[in-house]
Amino acid sequence: MIKDITIGQYFPLDSVLHRLDPRVKLLAATVFIIMTFAVNNFVGLLLCFAVAAAVIACSKVPLKTVLKGLRPIFLIVVITSLLQIAYVKSGIVLVDFWKIKITSGGLLTALFMALRIALLILMSTMLTYTTSPTALTNGLDRIFAPFNKIGIDFHTITMIMTIALRFIPTLIEEVDKIMSAQKSRGADFESGSLIKRAKALIPLFIPLLFNSIRRAYELANAMTCRCYNGGKGKTTMNALKFSGGDYLSVALTAAFVASVVLLNIFCGEYNAEFTFNAAV
Amino acid sequence: MSEPIIEFDNVTFRYQSDTESEVLEAAVKNLSLKIYEGEFVAVLGHNGSGKSTLAKLANGLLLPESGKVLVDSMDTACEQDDIKIKQTVGVVFQNPDNQIVSTIVEEDVAFGPENLGIEPSEIRRRVDESLKIVGMYNYRKHEPHKLSGGQKQRVAIAGIIAMEPRCIVLDEPTAMLDPVGRRDVMAAIKRLNSELGITVVYITHYMEEACEADRIVVMDDASVIMDGTPREIFSDTEKIRSIGLDVPQTCRLAQMLRQSSIELENDLLSIDELVNGIDKLLKG
Repeated sequence: MIKDITIGQYFPLDSVLHRLDPRVKLLAATVFIIMTFAVNNFVGLLLCFAVAAAVIACSKVPLKTVLKGLRPIFLIVVITSLLQIAYVKSGIVLVDFWKIKITSGGLLTALFMALRIALLILMSTMLTYTTSPTALTNGLDRIFAPFNKIGIDFHTITMIMTIALRFIPTLIEEVDKIMSAQKSRGADFESGSLIKRAKALIPLFIPLLFNSIRRAYELANAMTCRCYNGGKGKTTMNALKFSGGDYLSVALTAAFVASVVLLNIFCGEYNAEFTFNAAV
Repeated sequence: MSEPIIEFDNVTFRYQSDTESEVLEAAVKNLSLKIYEGEFVAVLGHNGSGKSTLAKLANGLLLPESGKVLVDSMDTACEQDDIKIKQTVGVVFQNPDNQIVSTIVEEDVAFGPENLGIEPSEIRRRVDESLKIVGMYNYRKHEPHKLSGGQKQRVAIAGIIAMEPRCIVLDEPTAMLDPVGRRDVMAAIKRLNSELGITVVYITHYMEEACEADRIVVMDDASVIMDGTPREIFSDTEKIRSIGLDVPQTCRLAQMLRQSSIELENDLLSIDELVNGIDKLLKG
């Protein structure tokens, strides 16, 4: 049943965005997320949305799928917005009923926050939609390669990530097997109170843990047989190489940062009262 | 014959016990064996006969307690030759799941050559060739967990081949596979031996697979008890069965016929040979 799961949420397509160097995508996404928090006016935010829309269009990932990715955070957005409405008390009072007091400032801050979170999630899902987990770890490995020289063993960390990714489906399959074996002998995982069900999982995790340790030994042997020595003098088959598109993306990212900074300076921080009055 | 590629010289090995007071029985005891370049050797033995230990001793994963293991005249105990030894003798284990490192087939095959620091273009050539010889080239972009057991095992073999070893030791590579997977893996291994001239040491307890080899080494109780061609080995049905192993069905049938005083030749191994033998008797 779980045999055909895909790790992460990589959406294998052939688009400009899929072909970009993972390092560029990682950096651009990070910069974008920082900028969504640095931007302080609605014009800037609009620009962020325009960029996000362009990215989605370039990726060829269906809009529906992208929007679906926003669904899990809907609740978080609602809660954050309510908190903003409850705490920000600036601008014009719109509703003053019993203990509830809603101001224009509160509403606008809530809206701003909600849009920021949406952008953040949009951009990070675009990164994982267009970059395979392997490419991501590969990119991270390269970005942090300089740290290896100053004694931080980043290669080991990315190796651990790769192996974790590789073994997730194997372990899921194993859980499935152990569960079936125990169910066939009368184990009950589905009924009873939460505590009872949690307790029923203990006999599942012990063999799983035991087997994982045994697997780890065998994998270590297999890796030793393939001359693994901690990444010293290692080369890569698919060496990452910057192409025209990558340089262009870096330039566009830089232009985006500059525009947001300029907009911040010239449009100024949004003034709740002013914006609201202008809108009305 | 040429120089031995692996030479076990009076090797003894015992595993460490969890408790210090207890001393375990030797897993391999005073074993001497020479594997020559280009051979296809099957190692037979039931569980606990020391054959898996033999595989791990062959490229220095385990070091002997006494005696020496020489790979292409390099002592496996010598640390500075370690990488060279592992590059010369590759080992494939039983469970393919626990040998695959990467989430994409071709990247996994590239793992060995990458560790050796080989040029990217050369790695690409080796990966493609290794995948072709095991018949997995069309799956190079696939995720290993979506492959069948036999396919995964062939990827694991390709991962070793990509390091261009001169000898490959396989420790019961088909034990966890279904008959189709077993047949495909066996076919790939035979190609390695016949087309690339790689020395194969094939550890198994399937008699039918052992018959495919040029030479069979039978292990029992931590040492080698028989060594010869499949015909020689299986003509001595009594001895094989006395150590708890089975002989191929053809040999059993031939032996039963002989017991009922039918004058059948002693070395009929394949079904065709047996059929011909019986046919000759009937006509003669």
